[in-house]
Amino acid sequence: MDVIPTEIRERIQYEARVAGVSDDTGISIESVERRRVQIWIVAGFLVVALCAAFAVASLNAGIAGRGWFQPGVLQLALVALAVGFCAYAFEKEVHLHRLSRLLVDERVLSSALSKRLQQHSALMAAGKALNSVLDLDEVLDVILASALDMLRADAGSVMLLEGDDALRVVAVRGSELGRNARVEIGTSIAGQVASTREPLIVNGPVDEEGFPGRRPRNDAPDSAMCVPLQHRGHLLGVLNISSSGPRVFDEYDLQLLSLFAEPVAASIAKAGLYEAEHAHVAELLEADRLRSQFVASVSHELRTPITSIRGAVAASRIASEHSQRMDLLDVMERQARRLADMVEEMLTAAKLERSESMPLLRRVDLSALVRMAALDSQVAGRPVDVAVPESCEARADPESVRRIVGNLVENAHKYGAPPVRIALQPDGDQVVLSVVDSGSGVPASEREKIFDRFYRSDTTGQKPGVGLGLPIVRGLAEACGGSVWVEDSPEGGAAFRVTLRTRAVEDQEVAGV
Amino acid sequence: MSSKPLILIVDDEPDVLLTLRVILEASGFEPALAADGETALRRIDAEDPDLVLLDIMMPVLDGWFVLAELAGRSERPKVIVCSAKSADADRARAHDLGADAYVVKPWDPEELVQTIRDVLARRPHGRLRV
Repeated sequence: MDVIPTEIRERIQYEARVAGVSDDTGISIESVERRRVQIWIVAGFLVVALCAAFAVASLNAGIAGRGWFQPGVLQLALVALAVGFCAYAFEKEVHLHRLSRLLVDERVLSSALSKRLQQHSALMAAGKALNSVLDLDEVLDVILASALDMLRADAGSVMLLEGDDALRVVAVRGSELGRNARVEIGTSIAGQVASTREPLIVNGPVDEEGFPGRRPRNDAPDSAMCVPLQHRGHLLGVLNISSSGPRVFDEYDLQLLSLFAEPVAASIAKAGLYEAEHAHVAELLEADRLRSQFVASVSHELRTPITSIRGAVAASRIASEHSQRMDLLDVMERQARRLADMVEEMLTAAKLERSESMPLLRRVDLSALVRMAALDSQVAGRPVDVAVPESCEARADPESVRRIVGNLVENAHKYGAPPVRIALQPDGDQVVLSVVDSGSGVPASEREKIFDRFYRSDTTGQKPGVGLGLPIVRGLAEACGGSVWVEDSPEGGAAFRVTLRTRAVEDQEVAGV
Repeated sequence: MSSKPLILIVDDEPDVLLTLRVILEASGFEPALAADGETALRRIDAEDPDLVLLDIMMPVLDGWFVLAELAGRSERPKVIVCSAKSADADRARAHDLGADAYVVKPWDPEELVQTIRDVLARRPHGRLRV
């Protein structure tokens, strides 16, 4: 781009020198015109003067002269002088003409170059602006502001891919197009560009047949462009730019917008990665917080039975009565069992996390298991109403079912409120085991979190526990080929539902399930 | 009236109550029991114990509430907090609320009895450093 003007400038300087155009104030078309006028005035004046001299010489033709001053010779000399000067003026005119053309060429090129430089600097500025932000919303805002400024457009929007078959409007400027509007890929202008991945320019009224699915708009633009946003071969979305005024986009504008689309796509991808990284860091911090909370909870939960055992041992040494010593032995036994249960719970959670020792599934009578587990809870001071059929078969591990019921009943008493009910409901190839309490239920925002390891909805530390009860329920239910979730009970309170299969998976596959 | 110092044991763990009761009785104290903060405040009002062994994490009203309630009184028993909470922030909070000592579970029975004797030996109703 820089070579052409230099070469032209050298030729201009040469022609100006030959044509005698002074470059003190710069060589311009105006100075060329002045030089042309000068030459022709001087040429005209000289020709007139020579003609006058020729006439005088003719009038004095009778006067005898000698040598060069003879009238015939003088006339010949005057004619030769006039012809020579005309040839000189003509030659200058040829150079002036070339100079004029070169100057016009230079103006055209300078203007084109300056336009290109402006666009390049706009591209660079936009690139810089894009690099300076990481937040996706800010990136989208910079993209639209830069594109509208660079192309002198009125409106624009960015649509990003949603799933495999649709685009979602994520940023809009100067248009009635609604944020979050959805466009199917293959329909409308943006959908076609996303489908073909080819930039598109539309001037004048839009051919509705050419773009099926396009919604009529009150602010339909007179000129519009749409380019795909691609990063490393993957389509991210499209960038739309439009104008409703006299500004009509051309192929050059489309090329520029396509160039702009490359850093734009890279920035969107970078912002996406940043957001993902941000979310990942937040997850790690939350996991770290939960682990710290777990350590605190475990140390608290371990200290309580150890306190009782140590105290009971010391007390039994000094107890004066036999009955007191027997009571203290009971304390030691209860608290030792409590410690063992806690250790067992942590080991189970660790095994489930590593998917170790998958339980051996066999045909069991769920009704009988539930009744036994309910009895255990009753003995532990957690009463429960049981409403189960006489018998209900399922494929499960009996120990897992016992722990599932035990943990859910304990959870219902700890976080819900009595009365607590257990029910079994056969449902096709599975059985739904429900443990329902009469508390205030589980808020929707916590219904998944409560199954995360170490998560505790009680942030005051008033309720004992380490945040492993429900994760163990989920782990055991999944190991038995089932699932668990919590919902609001129709009568109020929380309803924990566990599904267990009635047949082996391979049997279900044979049956075409 | 017994001449033995009356110690109110406040803990929601029945086994801790039972154990401490035996230990304190054998150590020459008169034990009284409360399994939550509400019962504790009622028994403090009714029986005016010399010292309260106070757990923190309890149902109904927790130990912090009991401490705060006692801190506002001109006449109050001495208080030893017995908790599994071992963070410095918890010790500082107990101190600010006027606790006379802070013992972390699991406590050593002999050391606990010695701490009770030390606290009882201090001048009455004075707010002492933890």
